[in-house]
Amino acid sequence: MAHDLAKIQEIINRSPQSPGSLIAVLQDIQREFHYLPCEALEATASSLNVPLSKVFSVSTFYNAFSLNPRGERIIRICQGTACHIKGADLIQEQLVAGLGLKPGETSPDMKYTLEVVNCLGVCAMAPVVVVNDKIHGGVRCDKALKLVKKD
Amino acid sequence: MRIDSIEKLDKWRKECRRTFEAPKRKVIVCLGEGCLANGSEEVFNEFKKLVAEKKIPDVTVESVAKTGCHGFCALGPLVIIEPDGTFYTKVSKGDVAKIVDKTLIGHEIIDKLLYTDAKTAEKVANYEKIPFYARQQRISLRHCGTIDPHKITDYIAVGGYAALGKALTTMTPQQVIDEITKSGLRGRGGAGFPTGKKWATCAKAPADVHYVICNGDEGDPGAFSDRTTMGSDPHSVLEGMIICAYAVGSHQGYIYVREEYPLAVVTLQKAIDEAKQHGLLGEHILGTELSFDIKISRGGGAFVCGESSALMRSVAGEVGEPRAKYIRSVIKGLHDQPTVLNNVETYATVPAIVERGADWFAGIGTKKSTGTKVFSLAGKIKNTGLVEVPMGITLREIIFDIGGGVPDGRKFKAVQTGGPSGGCLPEGKIDLPVDFDSLTEAGSMMGSGGMVIMDDRTCMVEVARYFLSFLVSESCGKCVPCREGLYQLRELCAKVCDGEATEEDLALMERLAKTIKVGSLCGLGQSGPNPFLSTLLYFRDEYLAHIRDKKCPGGVCRKLITYAITDACTGCMACISVCPVHAITGERKKKHVLDKNICDRCGSCYAVCKFDAIEIS
Amino acid sequence: MVQMTINGKVVKAPDGEMLLTVIRRQGIDVPALCDHAAVEPCGSCRMCLVEITREDWNGWKKYVTSCLYPSENGLIVSTHTPELQEIRRNIMDLYLARCPGSELVQKMAEEYGLTRTSYKTIPEGDNCIMCYACTRICEVLGRNAISAVHRGHAKVISGPFDDPPPDCIGCLSCANICPTDVIEWHDQDGTRAIWGRTFDLISCRQCGKGIITRDFAEYLKEKRQIPADYFEICDDCKRVELARKMGGLVDLAKEVAS
Repeated sequence: MAHDLAKIQEIINRSPQSPGSLIAVLQDIQREFHYLPCEALEATASSLNVPLSKVFSVSTFYNAFSLNPRGERIIRICQGTACHIKGADLIQEQLVAGLGLKPGETSPDMKYTLEVVNCLGVCAMAPVVVVNDKIHGGVRCDKALKLVKKD
Repeated sequence: MRIDSIEKLDKWRKECRRTFEAPKRKVIVCLGEGCLANGSEEVFNEFKKLVAEKKIPDVTVESVAKTGCHGFCALGPLVIIEPDGTFYTKVSKGDVAKIVDKTLIGHEIIDKLLYTDAKTAEKVANYEKIPFYARQQRISLRHCGTIDPHKITDYIAVGGYAALGKALTTMTPQQVIDEITKSGLRGRGGAGFPTGKKWATCAKAPADVHYVICNGDEGDPGAFSDRTTMGSDPHSVLEGMIICAYAVGSHQGYIYVREEYPLAVVTLQKAIDEAKQHGLLGEHILGTELSFDIKISRGGGAFVCGESSALMRSVAGEVGEPRAKYIRSVIKGLHDQPTVLNNVETYATVPAIVERGADWFAGIGTKKSTGTKVFSLAGKIKNTGLVEVPMGITLREIIFDIGGGVPDGRKFKAVQTGGPSGGCLPEGKIDLPVDFDSLTEAGSMMGSGGMVIMDDRTCMVEVARYFLSFLVSESCGKCVPCREGLYQLRELCAKVCDGEATEEDLALMERLAKTIKVGSLCGLGQSGPNPFLSTLLYFRDEYLAHIRDKKCPGGVCRKLITYAITDACTGCMACISVCPVHAITGERKKKHVLDKNICDRCGSCYAVCKFDAIEIS
Repeated sequence: MVQMTINGKVVKAPDGEMLLTVIRRQGIDVPALCDHAAVEPCGSCRMCLVEITREDWNGWKKYVTSCLYPSENGLIVSTHTPELQEIRRNIMDLYLARCPGSELVQKMAEEYGLTRTSYKTIPEGDNCIMCYACTRICEVLGRNAISAVHRGHAKVISGPFDDPPPDCIGCLSCANICPTDVIEWHDQDGTRAIWGRTFDLISCRQCGKGIITRDFAEYLKEKRQIPADYFEICDDCKRVELARKMGGLVDLAKEVAS
């Protein structure tokens, strides 16, 4: 997928052009495209003067980054302790079966991405599912699929 | 307006207080994360709209205020009517008109929206009388839920930056360190290292540059107090950091916040900008010689970055791999310079100590664990939320008196404290006084104060397997005992869950756990076997039940249980629609049939059945 | 200089020198899989763990990786306690599950009486022990062509995007430093294949044998100021030529002497 290189460069230029900005720049790129396109990593490496191998190491180390394009609707199932105790596995089971996606996968029509996260810090509302940054608390397994498909 | 002297700060405070206290009656809507998720923003907007329309004499649009988290997240959205302290719970947008008419205009209390005491079944009108709040003592959370986190003027009105003023104008850096040391304050993020000692070592380390870092990563699953503090009272954190900068001679600070906490990032940035605008941060703070700046460093979501050397590498834009800590980060930390690293709660406590004195703080809590501690209550507990209590109170008081105990008539089984580095404590430890040392002694730890309560429908072996899976996915992968050892320990634990393990396997697990503890490079690996070791220590019989009898006493481990439908079934079809493998068949109003050969024992049917018609054996 | 006690013997060492170096100088064999003189220590294999204490620690002791712990006055070091041997044995057991095919791992495990792992053999395991020697040497050369990617149990050594690394110059430093010979390469028909890339080899003007990749030669010329014609003739042919010249010299000397 070709991306607007000028846009990528504009995002990179928002931060100081030094190796210390690497994570911040990658986060800004991820926020714009919902993933890290190859050409963006290459541009980041040359702008910040960081070896491409290190940019790739950082991109694959942190949970926040994805190297694959993600769907319109990003569904994150919290698997923190409280959510686990309150049946996050059941929600996962329903969504995996209902969407036909394993955690980390995106539907071929680019509509849904299913992800599992290790605690979002809203444990009081467990079990929690986040759809495009909107937090849903107290999710019931029988209502989960409807919830994530709802507009 | 730039505040460049104590006199100007005092004058400004008077103005802020006048505005803050102007409305005689106030409608306070909680916009903490929990309430927000339940629609409190709509509630807030509806109040603004209706109050403007109704033209009530003593309630204006300015009377409708928003605040950060009140802590009682189980009952959100929360609305408090001051000065009476009327406490409404689970308020929906539709309730607002009624509250405006009945309470604001008619001075009547709406019973339906009040909190019901779980023990006495009585309605409680005033929030200070609710056991959940009555037993708390709030120091770190002192302003959470009372001020609007987006307004520096609110923070000033309630006494904000007074401690900073006191430190800068009446104390030397050494006196600040002495005061913190004397207070007995210990780091609230994990092992409880004495804060004063840390500051003193950093201050003495010779270097041109010293750094102050606030750890807002809060990677422990089950803990959410730092997220709340950053989002509900950001200036307390900033003030604590500035006082620390003065004490250790630093000019640059960083707050490391998880990217998963977007609200906290926005709120903190706003607070930093406002503090800078008013000369409370930046060059010549309060007109003194102190210059200190704070930047937000967004974490990439890695549990290992809670470890100090990994966090510092992450702040520097690198992979968060820890280094061997034979040179402490307080001597050689960020960019190899002396660095103080404390967590959010620790910094938020500092201004209170400076303002009210070390003796006051040391008088609270126990001798070796002074002050209060914030706990995040979650899991199988009635009152989920945040509580702050004096150190040394018992688990029973926290879980049963404040937390209201286990819901749905089930039995308490264990409480998990300290996240993946901590452990599970059984009912026999329920009268344990909660402080740093007693928790460690009992095989768990304080960590960042997460408490996940488990009932008798929890399998402790499965809980250990869960934490090991968490750690396997969060290990940085640098050293062998952690990378390979935790993986193998998890595999063995799964073998126990599947009923395929032998007692030799259990012995192997114990040996392996010891190697991981001693051999790993950083705290993640060294404490990684704790969830296994603590569950084995207190629930060995459960492990043995899986191994010898091929039974799961908690009724959780799939390979050891079967589900069946009893005569209590009313034929409501709920289980049929939820079964992911279509193992249940039947017609409406007729008893359903579960095919044990198809069933993969996920328990979805059990979770949705309202008639207790699903039996686990 | 500082004074320490190692296994009961008083030893002097330069202040700050890493314990592993001091211990090995004493002829004591402490195992290590990730240690190499050419690169900075990283402490990943944990085999060089030793027990340290001090007089004033009142019996308290701790385990440290000797490759990363600097010598200091008054340190009391033990290198082969039963506890340490047990930890090393368990670590080799874990290695054996990950790299069952590695001869080095097999040999070291055997020293602890292990012929097969007590754990589950990892299906996707290869002979890489993740010691980071290759990435560290690549960093020393300033190329940073390969790095450790992903994390935890999924961590592997790879080029960016799991593709052939564009910054590789085919110098073989990684393959030469690898303790388990897991990095594959081969020279054929004037080219060298490594990390999925193929490099042109400079052939010796005299014997036609491949000497060095063109990219590596360019790198050395630029970074190490090596003369441009240095790689035209291979080392063997250079030696032959030198011998011939030396031979002439000897004949000349004989002539002069007689």
